[in-house]
Amino acid sequence: MAKWGMVIDLEKCTGCQACSTACQMENNRLPGENYQDVLFYKEGKQPNPTLSWFPRPCMHCEEPSCMHVCPTKATFKTEDGVVLIDWNKCIGCKYCMIACPYGVRFYTDEKPLHEPNIKAVFKGEGDLSWNPPYKGPQQDATHGVGIQPNGVVSKCTFCYHKISKAPKGTPDLDESNPALVEFVPACVRTCAPKARYFGDLDNPKSQVNQLISAKKGVRLLDHTGNKPQVYYLTGSGAAGGAIPSNRSTNKA
Amino acid sequence: MEILKTKVSRRRFLQASGVAGAAGAGYTALSVTPAATREAHAQAAAGSTVVNKSICGQCPARCGIDVYTTNGKVHAIYGATNHPIANGKGCPKMHLGTYILYDPDRFKGPMKRTNPKKGRDEDPKFVPIKWDEALQIVADRLNTLREKNESHRFAVFYGRGWGASCAGLQGTFGKLYGSPNVAIGHASICATGSQAAKSATDGNGSYNSYDYKNANNLLMFGANFLEAFRPYNNNLQVWGYIRGEKPVKTRVTYVDVHMNTTAAAADRALLLKPGTDGALALAIAHVLLTQGLWDRNFVGNFKDGVNQFKTGEKIDPAAFNEKWTKGLIEWWNLELKDRTPKWAEGVTTIPADQIIATAVEFGTVRPSIALMERGAHTHSNGVYNGMAIHSLNALVGSLFAEGGLGYQQGQSYGKMPVSADDFMDDYAKSPDRKKPRIDLAGHDDGYAMAGTMIQEAGQNHNAKKPYSLDTAMFYLTNPVMSCPDTKSWEEALKTMYVIDTSPFPGETAWMADLILPDHTYLERLQDAPTYPFQGFPMAQLRTPAVKPVHDTKYYGDVLIEIGKRIKGPMGEYYKQVKDTENVLRHMAKGFEADPGDNGVKDFESWKKEGVWYKKPYAFRQIRGEFFMWDKAAKSYSIPMKPDDVKKDLLKTESGKFEFTSSKLLGKKDWILAKVPGRSAEKMHIPHWEEPKYTGGGDVHFISPKTAMHAEGRSSNLPHAIALNQPTAGGRKHNFLEIHPSYAAKKGIGDGDRVKIKSSAGETFAVARISELTRPDVVVLPFGQGRWAMGRWAKDRGSHTDQVIVQQSDRISGMANFYSAMVTVEKA
Repeated sequence: MAKWGMVIDLEKCTGCQACSTACQMENNRLPGENYQDVLFYKEGKQPNPTLSWFPRPCMHCEEPSCMHVCPTKATFKTEDGVVLIDWNKCIGCKYCMIACPYGVRFYTDEKPLHEPNIKAVFKGEGDLSWNPPYKGPQQDATHGVGIQPNGVVSKCTFCYHKISKAPKGTPDLDESNPALVEFVPACVRTCAPKARYFGDLDNPKSQVNQLISAKKGVRLLDHTGNKPQVYYLTGSGAAGGAIPSNRSTNKA
Repeated sequence: MEILKTKVSRRRFLQASGVAGAAGAGYTALSVTPAATREAHAQAAAGSTVVNKSICGQCPARCGIDVYTTNGKVHAIYGATNHPIANGKGCPKMHLGTYILYDPDRFKGPMKRTNPKKGRDEDPKFVPIKWDEALQIVADRLNTLREKNESHRFAVFYGRGWGASCAGLQGTFGKLYGSPNVAIGHASICATGSQAAKSATDGNGSYNSYDYKNANNLLMFGANFLEAFRPYNNNLQVWGYIRGEKPVKTRVTYVDVHMNTTAAAADRALLLKPGTDGALALAIAHVLLTQGLWDRNFVGNFKDGVNQFKTGEKIDPAAFNEKWTKGLIEWWNLELKDRTPKWAEGVTTIPADQIIATAVEFGTVRPSIALMERGAHTHSNGVYNGMAIHSLNALVGSLFAEGGLGYQQGQSYGKMPVSADDFMDDYAKSPDRKKPRIDLAGHDDGYAMAGTMIQEAGQNHNAKKPYSLDTAMFYLTNPVMSCPDTKSWEEALKTMYVIDTSPFPGETAWMADLILPDHTYLERLQDAPTYPFQGFPMAQLRTPAVKPVHDTKYYGDVLIEIGKRIKGPMGEYYKQVKDTENVLRHMAKGFEADPGDNGVKDFESWKKEGVWYKKPYAFRQIRGEFFMWDKAAKSYSIPMKPDDVKKDLLKTESGKFEFTSSKLLGKKDWILAKVPGRSAEKMHIPHWEEPKYTGGGDVHFISPKTAMHAEGRSSNLPHAIALNQPTAGGRKHNFLEIHPSYAAKKGIGDGDRVKIKSSAGETFAVARISELTRPDVVVLPFGQGRWAMGRWAKDRGSHTDQVIVQQSDRISGMANFYSAMVTVEKA
């Protein structure tokens, strides 16, 4: 069984946010509630100010603190290493949101981030939070895939509805391979500078492992012991993409 | 109720588990049944998913897209894997197209206005009508104008013309009908400044194609490569390659007035005073020459081989043998010899040592490309800034070179179903039809050298100079929002019959008398030849993903249907043209004789693949010699004679790259008469001329395009609004970026509501105090502050153009958006 992981090369990341929009539309996210955010940081002074950014999906930790605190075992780790939420078990207590060091879990708030309330424009059926007219065919509550129901927490699934259908034993889900493109997470598939790679961390020959080894991949907030399955490559430091290692990851 | 239900769920759980809200509480392993049992959502039965080929419509780039439709609903868009620009990839806008298709604010069908009063506060009181009635209303107006000898009083204004089946039909319509105003494009509020600079120097009035992947050095002037420059998606792909995969990283210097993502990701950001890009380029040229870094193969050399370029010293023109350039020594003697980095530091505020370092890199780490767009040329001195920048490409021999720049080749289209010339009646042929255009483009009283002047059309109509319009139709343009001094266009729309063809509400539609809504791009069958890309010819095709969601009609068919209703041979012409699909089938016949690399050879294969293209670019300059591609030898090995180079590549009078522009010399008297104070001695060479700042304020006002700018729609896209990052944008608002020193002087705090004033008007914004902008510059992105666009755009953001004074570059006609100066105060 694979242990899926992601590598993000900050030297190549342009901060364009295509990962965010591809994810938003693929996963029917409400505006502003992005499974995948790009955080921007501003420091320094004219004439040499610093602008940098940090793309942040769920880290799909090996030791997910969100899972450990979940009182109903709604959050679980799949056999192939993905942290998911069973919406049928989630009671919306939000403990996981407090426990997550990366701020990548979402509760559909009663108050919309933007007015007018898009949930009132596209009203959800049953207990679904909304009903976007472009919603995809996938809806799988046991894996937290599809439109988020009211009263539950949601998170990045590594596009589980895609990757779970990939041929077994594939070392890397590489979007440039026509046979694999439909199994690649939306953010990885669209990333124009190819700053993202997705593959099997348990397969020593995978490209993700090769990159982590060759370019010294690092993990965000490694000291928490969560052991993220998302690795960052930081290159020579001339890029705009950067790890905010000593700063808050809360969006400003 | 929703809130209550949720809260109850949680409280019940807490009661059941007997713990309070401590984070660690979850470690107690309890088996709890959620209070409100939810409907189990099983994996939805997968319907049959269809993927069709289309072309994104949110910027000029024309990326191929794969559109996913299941059970008749479009639910995903990804970059087309078989498309040379998209390569399976997307920009942030591309994915939002599904929302655009189902935007609840879309027009549902044709409508006419019932409220005769027009204004921002006047509800048009539109009522639905049938298409046949709507088209007949237009045809009746047009027939009546013709009967009154006033056909010139009908105009079509257009923005993003895509191809032969839409904007490509307009010129013929104007010719057959008899109006010089069909159609007036938007280039003068877009980027015609760079076209004019290239036209003046190398004879190509066009944007460049670029061979970025083989370049080792990119010097970008005000072309925001990672946020706004086209083709955006491909630029991002290029970036990943040149900065992350290329064995030797490409060096990037970026010139702008504030720190954005391109500046941040570059090796060197030069944040200069607005409008001074030309001074920087001239100083770089000075260093290239004094340090002997020019390309001898392309430019030539001193006869004795000894570099005589010494600061401040004139040179005998006879001492230098020029090869593919003209006038280098004259340029040096008149201008460059004094344009030292120290001098440029005084003008631009960029330290001289950084200018020297940039120049040395540009001259040594070759191939180098100097590219520019609006930041450099939307000023009164824009053409000269542009000429100076483009001349750097000539100095280092990058024109038509590997790792350099070229010009886009055209596609192999077939002929129209019938020839329009056979359907010209006496009225259309009459010399009476030779009227000046409403925008006075190409006219000595207006902008004689400009191709289009949409920003002046409104005020000319108001002043009845040269006359007033009776009826105007708008295709993908909204000048009341997008031209400087928007008041003149707003007034103009009140006194003409306005037809808007946008699928969406907008300010032009609000002022319209008739709405003829177009399909959105996902519903159209529409061609789109490539925008300048890598030079090789390419023509894309949109195929509809779904049947039109509403009662809309493709603009190209609207034109044809109106044409059919015009009396006389013109009506007959359009009956024979039939419809846009027939036009496209005839265009595709051209591929039969010239099949694409991907096997596209007719209409059906074009539809299936969505793109026809033929690689590679046909021309290359190698060490000062020009060659054409030899298909058999698979190399650039067919030598070109100087006459061929003049015909195909360096299209100037001399057949060379002209530092001394014969094109500008040809209009010398007109230019000097129209621009008081311009140097008669230097008017034909790239030289430094102080920009004329407008508006009378104390700080420069810059209104950039952001990455989320979706050709005017982004301010009504809820997902785009939420991502309007990172610098001047800011989620719910789009902020006015102000430097702390200016803010302190004016007592403005972060988040304060501020008033932005100029002699043109005022607008309001929320302040963001930021070190990312220069102390003498405030930044507010354009495309926001819409007053009639839809529910998400309403009352959000600030309209930039209402504080920008109407001033245009007299040569290019480019509206001087970035010349604006304003005063900002706490509101």
